Amino acid sequence: MSEMILSVEHLTKKFPVSGGRFLTACDDISLNVRKGETVAVVGESGCGKTTLLKAIMNMQKPTSGKILFHGEDITQLTGEAKRQNYRHIQMVFQDPTAAFNPKMKIRDIVCEPLLNFDLISASDVDTKARELLTQVDLPADFVSRYPHNMSGGQRQRVAIARALALEPEIIACDEATSALDVSVQDTIIKLLVKLQREKGITYIFICHDMALVSLFSHRVAVMYLGNMMEKLDGDKLNGARHPYTQALLKAVFSTDQAKNQYIGILPGDIPSPLDIPSGCPFQNRCEYCRARCQSEKPAFRELEPNHFVACHYPL
Amino acid sequence: MLLDVKNLAVSYGKNPNPTIVGVSFDLNDGEILAIVGESGSGKTTVIRAILNVLPGGGRVSDGSIVFEGKNLLELDAGGWRNLRGKNISMIFQDSGNMMNPVHTIGKQFVEYIQVHSDLDKKSARAVAIEKLELMNLPNPENILNSYTFELSGGMRQRVGIAMAITFQPKLLLADEPTSALDVTTQAQIVGELMFITRGSGAAMIIVTHNIGVASYLADNLMVMSGGRVVEYGKTADVINRPQAAYTKTLLASVPEIGGRRYV
Repeated sequence: MSEMILSVEHLTKKFPVSGGRFLTACDDISLNVRKGETVAVVGESGCGKTTLLKAIMNMQKPTSGKILFHGEDITQLTGEAKRQNYRHIQMVFQDPTAAFNPKMKIRDIVCEPLLNFDLISASDVDTKARELLTQVDLPADFVSRYPHNMSGGQRQRVAIARALALEPEIIACDEATSALDVSVQDTIIKLLVKLQREKGITYIFICHDMALVSLFSHRVAVMYLGNMMEKLDGDKLNGARHPYTQALLKAVFSTDQAKNQYIGILPGDIPSPLDIPSGCPFQNRCEYCRARCQSEKPAFRELEPNHFVACHYPL
Repeated sequence: MLLDVKNLAVSYGKNPNPTIVGVSFDLNDGEILAIVGESGSGKTTVIRAILNVLPGGGRVSDGSIVFEGKNLLELDAGGWRNLRGKNISMIFQDSGNMMNPVHTIGKQFVEYIQVHSDLDKKSARAVAIEKLELMNLPNPENILNSYTFELSGGMRQRVGIAMAITFQPKLLLADEPTSALDVTTQAQIVGELMFITRGSGAAMIIVTHNIGVASYLADNLMVMSGGRVVEYGKTADVINRPQAAYTKTLLASVPEIGGRRYV
């Protein structure tokens, strides 16, 4: 196994809300990321996956816990050291239309991070931009276009090119393909995988589509209401033991009619993160809920090597 | 036959080239047709043309749309008013956007019922509550008193569907009804759409880019690309034995659990 590059240790993030209460967006989250691997964080909206990502990106300071990047706690960095750290962890956003300044040309967009860190001079921008576009399989003469002159898939490639510019060790993708059509999504995933093979990039991929995640992730972490529910290997998704993970798997519609017989409907809505039930956070939607689940919060434990579950009665 | 669309073409503005061209299909009572394709393939234009709600400058430039023996293209404003909502209704991608955010849901729901019927306010409200209950919405009184932004995406979509089925239309048009939702909510809504159409015998045309949802729901499947119909037939035939190269690539790019892996 390759070396550990990033580890999130007992990260908790609380936001103050009116009435002196707190909204717990991430509750004691731990996550280990190995070099050259893809870690997918899966969950419904409101489960805290974006908060986790913002903490990893060092855009938000956690309430408690550490984020170790090559052994150094990046949440404690300030000033220039914090700025330099951004070089190593870059991000690709969900909506490639909103991610760019519409008045900048592609050449300036992809080279802006390099100029910010004084890595190239202004005269090299054009050459470097062409090189970056080629890496993401776009024609080099796109450098003089504007973002609105491109399709969604092409824009997402530009976003990836910009994230690659600083040669980061980690690229964090926040629902990077959910705004795209399936066929475009497929080509973007293939591109990400190709870049990973060539450059050994590590991805933290936030997503809510289990089927997509099963294509290319080495590790999958499932979150619900700010809690980590299950962590397992990406190729062992069918062996998921947590009822919530199973519910997510059963909610995926397949083109195969035979598989669609097993579609399961998870009742109810995700409860408000302001009043998380005591005991297991998933209790009110879980069909296997028992008395113990309502009183005692399940510990996150290792059932078998590399397979962690927070459930009293794993399936 | 409930709906018969022949050789439909739609153009926008002064552009001489039609956006969609040669779209033909038919629909019987209680049938579900799914239209799949990428963004920009013209799938939404097809169902908007049926309800004559094409966005600015759009017009049917060729073909015919016959609903229950009536040519819809010859209807006047009054004719459309009788048809929409009562016989054909539409479910949008985000029903929250369809409603006015500064009025309560109840006010708009009651208004909608009163426009299409002679009910007084009180009985219109009772109908609204009944329809919300049918959509498994807890506490319908509460929902009628809320504003759209106070509800979750799934709840908003249920309100939109409740409104669409109020008058038990014969045809439901659903434009990406689950695309803005989480996977678990999507499964709930798809299940409810299935229940409603099968229960009331309504026919439905669902536009979606989720081919899994399409193959789960639909009797017939139409694949569109670049404003043209690439493939049209029984869902099982299209999925299992696709003829067009485009359909094959589209199907191959749908991720499946336990399918191929890139790493």
